[in-house]
Amino acid sequence: MADEFPFEISPMFEGERVRKDDMYVELAGPKSKGFELVNAVEIDEIEDGKFTLIGPDISDMEEGGRYPLAMIYRIAGELVEPDLEAIVERRNHDFQNYLQGVMHLNQRYDVWLRINKDSITKGLDSFEHIAKATMMLFRNELPFIEKIEATYITDMEKVEEELAKAMERYAARDERTRNLHDEDVDTFYGCSLCQSFAPTSVCVISPDRIALCGAINWFDGRAAAKVDPDGPQFPIEKGELLDEMGGEYSGVNEVAQKLSGGEYNRIKIHSFFEFPHTSCGCFEVVGFYMPEVDGIGWVDRDYTGMAPNGLAFSTMAGQTGGGKQVIGFLGIGVNYFRSPKFIQADGGWNRVVWMPKFLKDKVLADIPTEIVDKVATEEDAHDLDTLKEFLKEKDHPVVKNWGADEEEDEDEGSTGTSTAMPAFDMPGPAMLQNIPPMTGSGSGGMKITLKNAKVSIDKVILSSKK
Amino acid sequence: MVIKKGRFTIEGLENVQINIGKVTSSDEAEEPQGPTPAPDIHGLRDWDMRLLKRYEPVYSPICDLCCYCTYGKCDLTGNKEGACGINMEAHQAREAMIRTLTGAAAHAGHGRHLLNHLIKRFGADHPIDAGPSNIKAPVTQTVLGVKPETIGDFVPVLDYVEEQITQLLATAHLGQEGSAIDFESKALHAGMVDHVGMEVSDIIQISCLDMPKSQADAPLVDMGMGLIDSTKPVLLCIGHNVAAVTYIMDYMDEHDLFDKIELAGLCCTAHDMTRINTRAKVVGSLSKQLKYIRSGIPDLIIVDEQCIRADMMQETSKLHIPVIATNDKVMYGLPDRSKDDIDDIIRDLASGDQPGVLLFDYDKVGELAPKLVMKMAPIRKEKGITALPDDAEFKKLASSCTQCGACVIGCPQGLEIDKAMEAAAEGDLTLFEELHDKCIGCGRCEFECPKKIPILNVIEKAAQKVIREEKGKLRTGRGQVGDAEIREEGVNLVMGTTPGIVAIIGCPNYPDGSRDVYEVAEEMLQRSYIVVASGCSAMDIGMFKNEEGKTLYERYGGGFLKGNLLNTGSCVSNGHITATAIKVAAIFAGRDISGNFEEIADYVMCRIGAVGLAWGGFTQKALSIGTGCNRLGIPVVLGPHGPKYRRAYPGKAYDKDKWNILDSRDGSVHNVEPAPEHLLITAENKAELMPMLAKLCFRPGDNNLGRMIKLTHYIELNEKYLGVLPDDWHIYVRGEADLPLAMREKLLKILEEEHGWKIDWNKKKILEGPARKVDISFQPTNVPRLCKGAVE
Repeated sequence: MADEFPFEISPMFEGERVRKDDMYVELAGPKSKGFELVNAVEIDEIEDGKFTLIGPDISDMEEGGRYPLAMIYRIAGELVEPDLEAIVERRNHDFQNYLQGVMHLNQRYDVWLRINKDSITKGLDSFEHIAKATMMLFRNELPFIEKIEATYITDMEKVEEELAKAMERYAARDERTRNLHDEDVDTFYGCSLCQSFAPTSVCVISPDRIALCGAINWFDGRAAAKVDPDGPQFPIEKGELLDEMGGEYSGVNEVAQKLSGGEYNRIKIHSFFEFPHTSCGCFEVVGFYMPEVDGIGWVDRDYTGMAPNGLAFSTMAGQTGGGKQVIGFLGIGVNYFRSPKFIQADGGWNRVVWMPKFLKDKVLADIPTEIVDKVATEEDAHDLDTLKEFLKEKDHPVVKNWGADEEEDEDEGSTGTSTAMPAFDMPGPAMLQNIPPMTGSGSGGMKITLKNAKVSIDKVILSSKK
Repeated sequence: MVIKKGRFTIEGLENVQINIGKVTSSDEAEEPQGPTPAPDIHGLRDWDMRLLKRYEPVYSPICDLCCYCTYGKCDLTGNKEGACGINMEAHQAREAMIRTLTGAAAHAGHGRHLLNHLIKRFGADHPIDAGPSNIKAPVTQTVLGVKPETIGDFVPVLDYVEEQITQLLATAHLGQEGSAIDFESKALHAGMVDHVGMEVSDIIQISCLDMPKSQADAPLVDMGMGLIDSTKPVLLCIGHNVAAVTYIMDYMDEHDLFDKIELAGLCCTAHDMTRINTRAKVVGSLSKQLKYIRSGIPDLIIVDEQCIRADMMQETSKLHIPVIATNDKVMYGLPDRSKDDIDDIIRDLASGDQPGVLLFDYDKVGELAPKLVMKMAPIRKEKGITALPDDAEFKKLASSCTQCGACVIGCPQGLEIDKAMEAAAEGDLTLFEELHDKCIGCGRCEFECPKKIPILNVIEKAAQKVIREEKGKLRTGRGQVGDAEIREEGVNLVMGTTPGIVAIIGCPNYPDGSRDVYEVAEEMLQRSYIVVASGCSAMDIGMFKNEEGKTLYERYGGGFLKGNLLNTGSCVSNGHITATAIKVAAIFAGRDISGNFEEIADYVMCRIGAVGLAWGGFTQKALSIGTGCNRLGIPVVLGPHGPKYRRAYPGKAYDKDKWNILDSRDGSVHNVEPAPEHLLITAENKAELMPMLAKLCFRPGDNNLGRMIKLTHYIELNEKYLGVLPDDWHIYVRGEADLPLAMREKLLKILEEEHGWKIDWNKKKILEGPARKVDISFQPTNVPRLCKGAVE
């Protein structure tokens, strides 16, 4: 119960800062050492709720002092597994910020804590209170944790010793995350959290595809599904692999049909054009096909300018959202750019022709070296003509798809038609840039309809035929 | 040959120009049109009836007579009918409708004036540009089904608004509507068209006058009576319509006069001045109006429209402050000098021959005002005009008070002026200093005083020390919320880390001083609610500082993000608040909004945890803004003066039958928790208000994460302000995942012991008890036709 602690516990204190003048002690941080670590262990290895402190306690510390701090939690339970460690560990940050008077910044070996003077006055004299409150929150939020034990270390020598071990653990975890791919698992996760706002949206999360809001990866999905098997994140048995390049699985299709109420029945998770993933509303980046160059551009929320097709993020996003499968547009999370299966059905990076510079720089390290200089930014191309020019000059892979006649009459500056139009109908917005010009009568067979027209004529001269 | 009606062929056309307003291609996908484009009075009646069935109107007759016609006056008490047959309920509903209409007309009239002016100045083809958004005018599109692209496209939109206002006002005439519930439906209609009028007004001025366009980091400006440099000539602009003032600012810019003249605004004109030029200063909200005039500091006053004191000329002429009225809604019986020479007008005003003039030629206003104010300052100084009593006089006035208490009864807030007078006579000013912030500056006390003490002057004199410290900051009005911001915030809304949206709107008739709105905003911001503010409330929120000397605008970001504080702008910027809710429906659910009001309102009411707060609402405009929110499914809380609007829409949580809702997947009926519990309700004090705001953010569509965080804040705020657990928290629990993290065990115990729920203590799971379980895919709706397979 919350009453047993000498501080209040509430999400209200999340944004609370402890400034230097209010600070009683500073723990870990850039000028000291420390870390936080969660380890999964066997159930009989630990004693639930036990707290061990190695080194001085808060009451032994000097006001205004700086001390190292390591926080090691060992968790156990039938459903606990090493793959969940990182997810649990990340919550330490949230939970400790719920504690009034405690500020927790960063994660892993970058943690940095401060405790304010006020909490000391109110009776926060031991780390035991902090550890017990944090463990209580862990157990309440993540019921798959059946037992939890905490060891806090404030002794520099011991912190350094344990930090070396922790670094190995982090490295091993990162390695596992990097090397885990769709083919390595039998289970993907679905997320229907968005359905409270976007009723038909179903997100499929696989090791190679993060949720398009960017907030939930495969590990998060796995942890959440264990917390509440009936909850918004749920396992999807992959089933039969139907299309390797596109990433189509029978299990995913079944779930898609069920959860969309029959709206759609096929999803290829790594495809842009064919049965693409649905897009909810909070995708970080929207991809758009430009038939004129047969390439795909990407634009993120922070980019306020126009993409080369003359449309802004908000306009294209407006065509994409609502939990619908929209061909020609695709919403994704930024981390999907880092996936080795990134739109692999459609050529992956070889099909990417444009992104805002800020976004490109963000994912620069993950763009294959042979293509990195061939992807234009707003500094290279601001409209379709300059984009074409740029792609041709850099010999981007899409250029060879351009039809021969296209290249021939390019000098005439025709941008209105495309010979590389794939075999589907472009949706409405592509037309926005191509409003047909009014032409004189007799050319092109265009029919003009005047609606509610008022033609004001100063003078009408009538004369009888001679 | 005779030309008659019919068809004929013209063979020759010479020098003929055909003006085409708009060219569209038929290839362009037509926006799907909903069932109610530009609805007339009965167009959305079904939706209103759904709302009013759940939230039955309750009346609080501030006056129980009807004096509309010469039959009367008719006493309607004791179930009596008036001579025309109207009963008390219907009459009160009619009164509320008329108030709503008055508010709607004020905004629409403002919009029409501005639109005519801006079309003349910039041309009807001037494009709309209010920020990077796909949906440019969400309210307009939802109500009328049109997508305006130029300011001229808004002409038929305002035509519609004006037609509706006329038709609605007609129903107030004797011998028309007799049903209370239909008057309510009409009031809701008026509220809705008000939001269209407001949206038009603000979008056109943002587009033409280069105001911030969906700008989260709109600049900060100085605000407060203590910040006005009275050593310079002070030019004060009061009202809501910035049209004329823009010419003054342009002239001052061109002639480098901003260092020589203190240009200050009061009320919404001040908002819009700073949106155009950050060198303008803000005196403060409406409650400062009479106080600031009485201070004698302004050397010239420009008025436009809405919320300007009716006794302006009586007040200003005593102090030799000339007044220039620039809008025909407020003319004070002054002579129209629009056609006269500027120098002649200046001469007549400076000499005091004329206390004020009408001037509808804004080019002249632009040049005349700066010239005149520079001339007036030395004249007024030379005359030694001091408005406030000196120390000796002050003492005399305070001592002359007999503590009869008439002023206390006359005061809308019941402030204890008598006690403060007594203390002041003894030399203790603290009571007056406290009273100053709570005083709304209406001046009613002075008319009650048998000793004719100029009480307002006494208050102001006594509070000089406090007034000098009145220095705040305001983030200038940012206008609409952009699409990209909504998408970004979407994750927080979905994950529940943003517990809700609190819109603090309306005027400064606060029951306990302006500090309240600051404290409400601060508490909700700390709890990561998005706080949206506008108008007078947006100003008062910025008048207070924390121990580090920072206002809320300096401490919190201005984006549509959790824990951010947005100032949308002036009164007419309130249209962007409802617009944001509409955008959420369009963006996340892909709902077609054109002419589809009912479906969108239903979505908003079931899913978007937004609540409006008009803590000091007293104008008719505040009522119409709130009523428009109500029709879109957004609940509104009023301060303790709220019942004077004559009715509320409270929900009855205990009446289970009222809370049936459909699942649009199959049309099945589900009995759900009362969320939101009320549609229009009054809170008596801040303690009652705080948990109520949190509670009104509950929605039937909440997922576990969202409900858990909302319930946490509801329980915490109730404990913090009322000292106990709320008595109804458990009815919002659908499973253990809804329970606040830190209190889970304690609450499970209460559920077991006090409510008889069955708990599996090993797994800490609720086995039995909740009225319904969470189904994340549950698609709540109140509208049968929106259900799968529905035939209506």
